[in-house]
Amino acid sequence: MDSPPVILQVEGIFLTFGGVMALNGVSLAVRHGEIFSIIGPNGAGKTSLLNCINGLYRPQRGRILFNGQDITRLPAHRRARMGIARTFQKTELFKNMTVLDNVRLGRHIHMKTNLLDALIYWGRAEWEELAHRAFIEEEILDLLEIGHLRHRVVGMLPYGLQKRVDLARALALEPRLLLLDEPMAGLNLEEVEDMARFILEINENPRWGVTCVLVEHDMGVVMDLSHRVAVLNFGNKIAEGPPEEIQNNPVVIQAYLGEEAAYATRR
Amino acid sequence: MRMRLPSGVFYQTYRQDQALWPTTFVKLRMWGLLVFLFVIFPQIASPYWLSLANLVGYTILSAMGVQLLIGYTGQVTLGHAAFIAAGAYTCAVLVLQYHVPYPLAFLAAMIVAGLWSMLFGLPSARVKGFYLIMTTMAAQFITVDFIITQYVSRIGERGHSFSLPPGTLSIGPWVIQSDRDIYYLMIALVTLSVLAMTNLARTRIGRAWMAIRDHDIAAEALGINIVAYKLLAFFMAGVFGGVAGAFWIANLYAVSPEHFTWSWSLWLVGVILIGGLGSNYGTIFGSLFMTLVMEALRNIVTWLTPFFPSLETSFLFVKEAAFGLAIILFLLYEPNGLAYRWWQIKNYIHLWPFSYE
Ligand SMILES: Nc1ncnc2c1ncn2[C@@H]1O[C@H](COP(=O)(O)OP(=O)(O)O)[C@@H](O)[C@H]1O
Ligand SMILES: [Mg+2]
Repeated sequence: MDSPPVILQVEGIFLTFGGVMALNGVSLAVRHGEIFSIIGPNGAGKTSLLNCINGLYRPQRGRILFNGQDITRLPAHRRARMGIARTFQKTELFKNMTVLDNVRLGRHIHMKTNLLDALIYWGRAEWEELAHRAFIEEEILDLLEIGHLRHRVVGMLPYGLQKRVDLARALALEPRLLLLDEPMAGLNLEEVEDMARFILEINENPRWGVTCVLVEHDMGVVMDLSHRVAVLNFGNKIAEGPPEEIQNNPVVIQAYLGEEAAYATRR
Repeated sequence: MRMRLPSGVFYQTYRQDQALWPTTFVKLRMWGLLVFLFVIFPQIASPYWLSLANLVGYTILSAMGVQLLIGYTGQVTLGHAAFIAAGAYTCAVLVLQYHVPYPLAFLAAMIVAGLWSMLFGLPSARVKGFYLIMTTMAAQFITVDFIITQYVSRIGERGHSFSLPPGTLSIGPWVIQSDRDIYYLMIALVTLSVLAMTNLARTRIGRAWMAIRDHDIAAEALGINIVAYKLLAFFMAGVFGGVAGAFWIANLYAVSPEHFTWSWSLWLVGVILIGGLGSNYGTIFGSLFMTLVMEALRNIVTWLTPFFPSLETSFLFVKEAAFGLAIILFLLYEPNGLAYRWWQIKNYIHLWPFSYE
């Protein structure tokens, strides 16, 4: 069977903060349509890796290719335009804005209103606002089941719903590649199930067909959702493979799963 | 982009949901306000009230750009008078020296002030906070105290301040001369500026500004080009400053570097702090409040002068002290500004008879 083409290629990334080696020559390749998970203990460098991929951090060495194009030196906003979106570990939302305005900001790259259109509003700008409003309502808020919260101020929502708004905002970019940084962290069991369902839908439904890079602590979720898993430890990639294989890999078990198994059974 | 045309019914629903004046009640109220401002007030007001209204209008136009930068984009500016001055002098020089019609000179003032402001916004690409404040202060002193005082004021050997011969400024056949003419010009400009700011705020440009203000890293990750949008904010703030400056010469028929002092820049920041950040209400209420309170203070001083002759000379001091005191009191007791209180009162009235909260 032919495997689908590579969408994201990370080649030998080095990233240090002062003396701390956050990423030590990490390489990986994510294929179209995959859910590719990255696991590892706290401080392993997972968030730093996502930050390098979407352009918030610049690695000292190594290359990042997106659909074959070298994006290592591109600023984050250019990468977003190319189709890379992300959610944040601690939901970096616009807390004082409504759900709708947060998601509207996710539509920024798809809007074309220029200064003159905006000043006049009636005509082109209004048409665009309404068209995108319809898109947001019918495609995104419905899918993530947060339509009833549209006018609520995000900072006032419970954490579980904020995580969902974070996903909605990223999805509004209609990305080709979605980086999810611990989307389940801090959620209760029911919310975890909902979130897993949404991620599967976004990944599998051809309407979206989004390739996902998932950083997650919840091993059950990782094993259920992922096509492949990479394991980071102290900035090194120590293993990579299908979930079953990772689960039984002695190196991984030693570095990580022992501690995580205890964590997983506790919840 | 996979984008479907919104279906008719929903289109109407969304349009209504996003309307500026969503209910019939609000529509009636706003039309009533417009009729009052455009028709009734200029008919019944005495020249004194007209000129006071013009001063309020000038303050609104001046504070609009400060509100855009500080309130909407989160970029502190302490030198906005520089761009108002750039607008005023562009307009005055074009009209006096080159006999350009006022509307064209007005447009040129907006563009020059906008570009001048964008130039001083360039450092915002690299620096934030304190250093940006220093840059905007530099704009003040370079523009007004150096370029305008030393060079621009010398154009045409008119002496330190330019005065415009009566009847110089006209729009088509309409010569702007009386206080009432100036009032009509002012109220039209204020209405258009408020509308422009409202429209910016409810489309992608204004949202991008607010995203930068609230969380620039998240904004960048969403594909917003932070540097470009900051520069656009400085440009638009300058354009509003240009409008204020070009209006000012119609208001006074004269222009002098003393009209654009650093304390006017600070005053404008005070206006939006007291009025409230990030809304047109904030700009309008702040301008009304500051202008009217100062006027009341001046009247009190005039009234008391026969009893305390030294007050006359110390009015300037009283004014500055009152300004400082007002800002401190507002930061302490009304940190969200007058606009927030207005919003609360409005909600209270809407909820009325059920307002037991
Ligand atoms: N902005 C930063 N400044 C300094 N050190 C950082 C920064 N970001 C991450 N690090 C360090 O890099 C290492 C990896 O962190 P991180 O990528 O957040 O790990 P993870 O997401 O796997 O928990 C940690 O030692 C962390 O302290
Ligand atoms: Mg992390």
